[in-house]
Amino acid sequence: MSRNLVLANLNLYAVLPNLEELVRHDQEMALLIKDWDICIQFSALGGPAAFAEFKNGECTVGRGKHFSPTVKLFFATPGHLNKMFDGKAQPIPLKGFTKLGFLSKEFSKLTDRMEYYLKPSEESLSNPDFVSLNTLMTMHTAGRAVVELAVNDPVASHVSKGMMDGSLLMKVLPDGPAITLNFKNGKAGFQKGETASPMACMLLKDMDTANKLLNQKLDAFSAIAGGEVIIKGQTPMMDAMDLILDRIPHYLDA
Amino acid sequence: MKTYTYPKSQELFQRAAKVIPCGIYGHLSPAPLIPADAYPFYASRAEGSKFWDVDGNEFIDYMCAYGPMVLGYNYKPVDDAAARQYAQANCVTSPGPVMVELAEKLTDVVSMADWAFFAKNGNDVTTYATMIARKATGRKKIVLIKGGYHGVAPWTQTYGHHGVMEEDGQHTIRIRWNDFEAFKKVVDENPGDVAGFMATPYHHPTFVDNEMPLPGYWDKVQALCNAKGIVLIVDDIRCGFRLDIRGSHEYFGFKPDLVCFCKAIGNGYPISALVGTEALKNDAAKVFYTGSYWFSGAPMAAALKTINEMEAMDAVKMMTDFGENLKKGLIEVAANHGYDLKVTGHPAMPYLRITDDPTLMLHQDWCAECTKRGAFFSSHHNWFVSTAHTQEDQERTLEIADDAFEAIKKNKE
Repeated sequence: MSRNLVLANLNLYAVLPNLEELVRHDQEMALLIKDWDICIQFSALGGPAAFAEFKNGECTVGRGKHFSPTVKLFFATPGHLNKMFDGKAQPIPLKGFTKLGFLSKEFSKLTDRMEYYLKPSEESLSNPDFVSLNTLMTMHTAGRAVVELAVNDPVASHVSKGMMDGSLLMKVLPDGPAITLNFKNGKAGFQKGETASPMACMLLKDMDTANKLLNQKLDAFSAIAGGEVIIKGQTPMMDAMDLILDRIPHYLDA
Repeated sequence: MKTYTYPKSQELFQRAAKVIPCGIYGHLSPAPLIPADAYPFYASRAEGSKFWDVDGNEFIDYMCAYGPMVLGYNYKPVDDAAARQYAQANCVTSPGPVMVELAEKLTDVVSMADWAFFAKNGNDVTTYATMIARKATGRKKIVLIKGGYHGVAPWTQTYGHHGVMEEDGQHTIRIRWNDFEAFKKVVDENPGDVAGFMATPYHHPTFVDNEMPLPGYWDKVQALCNAKGIVLIVDDIRCGFRLDIRGSHEYFGFKPDLVCFCKAIGNGYPISALVGTEALKNDAAKVFYTGSYWFSGAPMAAALKTINEMEAMDAVKMMTDFGENLKKGLIEVAANHGYDLKVTGHPAMPYLRITDDPTLMLHQDWCAECTKRGAFFSSHHNWFVSTAHTQEDQERTLEIADDAFEAIKKNKE
């Protein structure tokens, strides 16, 4: 699978779903979408498809094609889609021409806000509320990226094939957020929140530790030795997940 | 029972993390010690079966420096032999007579050995063994066991690990342990291209129960290797001199072509060895292989003395007996608390696991509680015992184990 195709999968299946948490936790964005009743379909020729549906003040991001989207945005290639995520290209609208103004103004406010959280400045990281949402969204992005990379990235899929079945919990102490990755037959499934019976756990001492670790500002080995990051259980699963996570920067930070 | 804390270890680690990658890298890293804050990171001194950390805590050591310590820390006869050699000559322009004496000793003691070659680490000689196999056969493929450990060079690691390319594993084929049919299939599918088969005498991976060879396994492997001209290589780095002084192949009753030794050979002095049969001596000579410190005399003098001492005291029997008794005692203590403690592998290097919890978390908790009370138990790796471990150590260990089981029960409440 080409790099552009893997990245397109990551953009639609790991990054885009953060809209759900954004409108749930950011008051300004919650207010913005309060009355929206729209479904936007994204699809790339020879690549992935996903939709973002806004209704009743909530957002649902789904995989594949929606049965009746309000707007259809088409991309000629996975690379075209990736350029849009970088703000360097425009999609080709196939349906919902009357909504183009909405897309360029209202929807852009939402995506700009998502970028604000996912690509944090040093200044914004001094705000505890920002740190909380950045941590949540980064954790979700990482978890969902593991699912995609385990299938589509050659290195990660090689690693995941050797992984034992079971659930892996990543949680910020004491009360979350948390994600669970369920591995079976070398494939991973993403779940928001905790599992009752994980095979392996990575527990992060507090939000600040989690934020630094997820933003690659904390040496994991030192954090483990110092007790800021606690790992337990079937740690070979953790080692394998770490190898997969280390593939993310080959795409999303490149 | 009093439990330990490690403020000085933590402080030192924080300093280390600034100037050393990982703070402590490799197999001594705190990462697999779970939870890390239950374990010491730095030792200040060692004697016999024990070491003391930088916080002054005393531990009965069941890792024995991950194998090299076999006669006890600071074992005087070995240290004296090394000191004499240091005083005479260590790293010099020409090797010393001690190199010849050690080679003669190894070929005398190790049943299949007609020659010996010295290096520093286990991976030095496992790599050399693959080169000799390829030189001798003119073939490329090396068959390994899944989960088997032969060092850290790229060919020993699997694709996906950092710094390892897919091409590094292009000529290694991994099969399941004890699966002779899989080996036969590989040989059939790669006609005339399998240079060597490398495995440990029994399967001792980390995190899972260790497995002895099935009856007839090694006989069949040896027969197929002999029939197809494949070099049979035993990685005896971890087991060597703990199962049988003549080499672990004697314990299991077969004859390999090459055997790799390290760890117990020098009681902590840096030396490894590859020994081989006469048929491969010329091939070994033709492979150019060397290192700056591979001719240093003091570790050779230490190894010579270590082997002599192990022979004289029947070290294998001492360690086996100690390991057997420890195993029985720990299983009984666990059972008294309602836990099933499974012990696999050889008694001199047992792997333990509390079977009541497949996640290993319970076992990790117990090992951590034991360590905090003075018995250094790793939860992920086979342990090692030495001839320095005493009856008193065993009794103290069982008391600690008992108290630790009590503690993990309380922790769960």
